[in-house]
Amino acid sequence: MRELILSDITEMGSGLCVIGIEAATENLFRSVRPIPPQGFAWDRAFPHKRGSEVRFTSRPTSVCPPHTEDQNTDGLEASGTCPSEVELVNMLQRAEVSTELEGLFGCELHVDTKGGNAWVDSSQASSSICGCLYRNLRFLVFQDPNRITLRARLVLVSGETLNSLPVVDREWRRFMDEVMERLTRSGGHFDLDRYLNRFIRNKLLQALHGFARIGLARPDNGHKCWLMLDSLFPQPDVSWLDVL
Amino acid sequence: MSLAFDLETALATARACVGSKLSPLPKDGVDLVETGALDSMAWVDTLIGIESSTDIRDFGNPWPENRPKSIRTLADMIREAQKPCPDEKPWVGARQQDDSARDTAVGGWGYALGSLVVDAEQIDRNLALPMHKIRDGAGIHSVCLASDTEDELALGQRAAEIALEMTEIPVDQIDFLVTTSATFLGFPSFAASLHSRLLLRDTTAALDVGGACAGLIYSLAVAKSLLRTRPQGVALVVAAEVHSRRFDAPQVPGEFRGLFGDGACAFVLTNAATDAQIGCVRLQEFVWGCSGTFASSLGVKISENAGLNVQFKGEQLAYAAITELERIIATLENLSARPRSEVDYFALHQPNPRVVEVLTEKAKIPLERIPLVSKACGNLGSVTCGASLCQALTSFRMGGSQLRKPLIFMAAVAPGLLWGGVFLN
Repeated sequence: MRELILSDITEMGSGLCVIGIEAATENLFRSVRPIPPQGFAWDRAFPHKRGSEVRFTSRPTSVCPPHTEDQNTDGLEASGTCPSEVELVNMLQRAEVSTELEGLFGCELHVDTKGGNAWVDSSQASSSICGCLYRNLRFLVFQDPNRITLRARLVLVSGETLNSLPVVDREWRRFMDEVMERLTRSGGHFDLDRYLNRFIRNKLLQALHGFARIGLARPDNGHKCWLMLDSLFPQPDVSWLDVL
Repeated sequence: MSLAFDLETALATARACVGSKLSPLPKDGVDLVETGALDSMAWVDTLIGIESSTDIRDFGNPWPENRPKSIRTLADMIREAQKPCPDEKPWVGARQQDDSARDTAVGGWGYALGSLVVDAEQIDRNLALPMHKIRDGAGIHSVCLASDTEDELALGQRAAEIALEMTEIPVDQIDFLVTTSATFLGFPSFAASLHSRLLLRDTTAALDVGGACAGLIYSLAVAKSLLRTRPQGVALVVAAEVHSRRFDAPQVPGEFRGLFGDGACAFVLTNAATDAQIGCVRLQEFVWGCSGTFASSLGVKISENAGLNVQFKGEQLAYAAITELERIIATLENLSARPRSEVDYFALHQPNPRVVEVLTEKAKIPLERIPLVSKACGNLGSVTCGASLCQALTSFRMGGSQLRKPLIFMAAVAPGLLWGGVFLN
């Protein structure tokens, strides 16, 4: 059986997409996206959390680039103790990483609108997940019909920027739901932008293990794979809600 | 308003310069050339001597017709040269007509220093300098150097965040980013790189301004001009220098390297009419120029093999800096119509604390009115006068009355010899 440490749990439609890292060599890791026995997405009641050690039996998989990390499984079972968040980031820094945009997926990024999200051509990208350090970030809040969604702007080490990345990280989405609930309860009496872009942003920039994992969505009809913020470290802390 | 030269001082200067060529000294009214006491070369040499000692540019050139070439006339002309230059009059008039447009408020400020603090003795050892060279010779007690993870962008970002936090202006409201850095080399330039780093909006302009140690004052002037094109505009001015990395080369003399620290400062500027803060300090009039006489006192060039060539004449540079800074202060007195005795703070470029001490004696200004950044941080290049201004503004905000605005003179000199100044109140 193969073993993984779950690194990314993201919301995908009505289900979840999960990625883990496994040892590639003595010091390096590679990303693996375990696919459930039925369908592409895991159920929302997924029992594991980020950092959980799991094991699985591989099943034959027909890989569709750029999602070369896909791996069919019979399911996941818990297998060991969880590393701390800092330890997990330490491991992720020894998996797929890039300091510049072109290195994220091995191809050029495209943008359709000024300040909009970027996409890659599915036929050109060589992988669908990559980690990066960030030097700055800001949040953008969007009011979707059913839910407030969060997007982020990131500056990479190279100085290049990623704009309007949808935050699909499950923990950040849950955190945002809680923030919105408190905002509603308070009658809208706090400044959401100030809370996110000062208080929360300061927490992130002051942390020593700031790290992001950028993923690619499945290609749309035009072969565009849009970028997503799969994981943002540090992960949101429930104590950050206390100021609301 | 005080004048730099009263008649006796001017006469003494003229006598000293003539006396170096001629002994015994003739009477003050004697025409030195007409009587043959000095030949034309000696006369020109006398004029140059006075130019050097008074820093009156082009002194006696051309010599006015019908005036005797005497000691008395030399003294009169020294005094006359202290009066406002006639060329400045149209500019002064234009300022007065456009009074409402000239107010630019400093809404926020902040500075960040390299996080590694190295004391003077350690600098002596690191650079193989004679012991106490940095502490006793330059008056520097320690310098702040950038750590491995810090560079111009990191320090600039930190300073900008502090300044923006103070104003509570979101970054997407910034219209102009004006930056200066002598140590950030390459493209994308510092302004472009910082624009990305701060995640400013795409339509925010980003400009790099030169000027080395005077670069911040020039950047403030540029930002003020840009704000006139946009009444509701916001400008962010950032200076950042990481000398320790740029000067980390064997060709750079240790006694030069040892003087410098690393840091950044930032200022948020708005048009005063749009600023609700009553006690907001405003940028007033600027002065600037370039005095080529001292151009050779400091030169830093990239050599063909990408190394750094530094030409550094310490004594000449110190003399030039003191003379020029004192002259800027005198000019700011004229512009502000306020004597230096009424100035609350002098935010000055500080080549090193010893130079500042000599300046205070020469210019007769109290040392305690100069936030002395260089003593604990070293010479921060363009950031020095900015960090000094930050300390002055913070000190005033903490202790001063909001009903009275402080009067601040800001002045800096840079290789060239570029110079610039501004007064704030």
